[in-house]
Amino acid sequence: MNKIIMLTAALVMVLGLTWGGVALATPQADQAIWQSYYQKRFPNVPKEDFINGVYAIDPVSRESWEAIEEFPPYEMAISQGEKMWNTPFANGKTYRDCFPNGPAIAGKYPYWDKERGMVVTLPLAINECREANGEGPLKYKKGPIADILSYLRYQSRGQLTKVEIPEDDPKALEAYEKGKQFYFARRGQLNFSCANCHVQNPGNLLRSDILSPALGHTTHFPVYRSKWGEIGTLHRRFSGCNKQVRAKPFKVQGEEYRNLEYFLTYMQNGLPLNGPGARK
Amino acid sequence: MRTHHFSAGILVAALAAGLPTGSWADDQADFEKAMTAAREARKKAATVGGEWRDIGKFLKQAEQAAAKGDFATANQLAEKARRQGELGYEQAMSQKDVGLPAYMIAGSK
Amino acid sequence: MIALKTTLAGAVGTALIAACVLALAPGLNAADAPTGNPEAGKEIANDRKLGNCMACHVMPDIESPGNIGPPLIGMQARYPDKEKLRAQIWDATVANPDSSMPPFGKHGILTEQQLNDVLEYIWSL
Ligand code: HEC
Ligand code: HEC
Repeated sequence: MNKIIMLTAALVMVLGLTWGGVALATPQADQAIWQSYYQKRFPNVPKEDFINGVYAIDPVSRESWEAIEEFPPYEMAISQGEKMWNTPFANGKTYRDCFPNGPAIAGKYPYWDKERGMVVTLPLAINECREANGEGPLKYKKGPIADILSYLRYQSRGQLTKVEIPEDDPKALEAYEKGKQFYFARRGQLNFSCANCHVQNPGNLLRSDILSPALGHTTHFPVYRSKWGEIGTLHRRFSGCNKQVRAKPFKVQGEEYRNLEYFLTYMQNGLPLNGPGARK
Repeated sequence: MRTHHFSAGILVAALAAGLPTGSWADDQADFEKAMTAAREARKKAATVGGEWRDIGKFLKQAEQAAAKGDFATANQLAEKARRQGELGYEQAMSQKDVGLPAYMIAGSK
Repeated sequence: MIALKTTLAGAVGTALIAACVLALAPGLNAADAPTGNPEAGKEIANDRKLGNCMACHVMPDIESPGNIGPPLIGMQARYPDKEKLRAQIWDATVANPDSSMPPFGKHGILTEQQLNDVLEYIWSL
């Protein structure tokens, strides 16, 4: 199966070449270009190491990061999340009733839900489980949602990213295309696309921040950031990266960010999950 | 730049001469017109996902200034918000069909 | 209505005269000068909320600058035509559609006056 995908991707790339870049942009072709771009740009970084973000390309900060990982700042969150997982809701049911294969379920998300015609992310599924059981939804950026995510993602470590874009539903491809357009569109008064920083300039310094490559960008969330002093979700990060270019951020877990997550996670297919993570 | 100072000059001169410069009601009406235009521009940008971060803040500040009778500041802020709405809309429209940039495709080979 | 118009015309007339007098007054012309002020420009360029040029450029007197763009030195040699330099700061995507430099003029990140000040400063480097 994998071989077939790789062959198709290679073929599509060759075709793309001969047609002089005329967009023959299938998701497979995009993904092949995406992954190869970063590997060409950082030839000394083993592919799997990209899951470590900026520390994959910056040996200096990597040292202090490794020291931090010795006593991970997200450990509390994992045990908080485990408690949540095991504590019954008021109606006596637990998360396990919603996620019978849990807790190691992160590799399944995000996925295209054909019936509902939308991308379903893990945080969304968690809140839908809560609401189905008469519990209030959790806020999506930090706090308890980050705790339970930390636990589920920790339990899922080592699973491989494998987002699927079902070919029997053109709306899935449409969601992917929307996420892709979002990623490459300039926005905000400062006029940046995500790509201006994370594709065009990884390894370069934006003042004193080394910009991370976007290969690996979804594998380690939720993330403890020393700047936040706490754990935050992927959509919180999206929101922050929108705000810093002076664009109005979108609703967390709204359609735009879910499609963005769908695209961005698909780009990482094959990379192992390593959340929760720690970053500057 | 010159016309700007020039009209400011007129204003200063008119004020100094103690001449009427328009009533509060006129100022308020002009300001409201500016605000309506700004809100519409903001909405138009938002419908294409092109709203900028600070428009909401400028509109709020404009209202506060107008409430204090500082219509010069209020109109300036409303105008800035309108301009940002228009620019955000134009920006979003210009980005509708973007995909993988050429430098990424070239760099992957 | 007619009376109002006459008063208005009178007011404008008076104002015009007054404005001319004001414009002729020494000192007031300084701010009107078409060129910018390099000292003000330095502060604007180095202000994180305004130019923030050092986020991407090596510049004088700046500790730990970024390196996304080239160091800003020898600008007069690089840009014999000052208008071209201004155009780069106004909207860098005209010269390079992929540029990651913000369009300081086009998007109103800097006012015209601030941009002229920055231009004067950068030109002096
Ligand atoms: C102006 C530059 C800039 C833009 C534009 C930008 N980011 Fe970022 N981003 C940063 C910086 C700086 C960081 C923190 C350092 C790093 O990891 O790169 C960061 C971090 C991230 C991270 C976390 C990386 C990690 O290892 O934890 C993600 C994910 C991310 N950005 C996604 C995006 C997305 C999606 C967009 C577009 C919506 C975007 N960024 C736009 C500058 C930018
Ligand atoms: C986010 C990064 C960024 C910021 C902030 C930035 N620039 Fe740039 N600048 C660039 C890049 C990248 C280039 C390379 C040419 C291009 O892509 O436009 C550049 C090129 C230039 C050049 C042309 C240099 C040459 O040798 O040709 C000048 C002049 C310049 N910038 C001035 C400024 C000034 C002045 C500011 C602040 C008001 C500023 N830049 C802020 C990224 C930036």
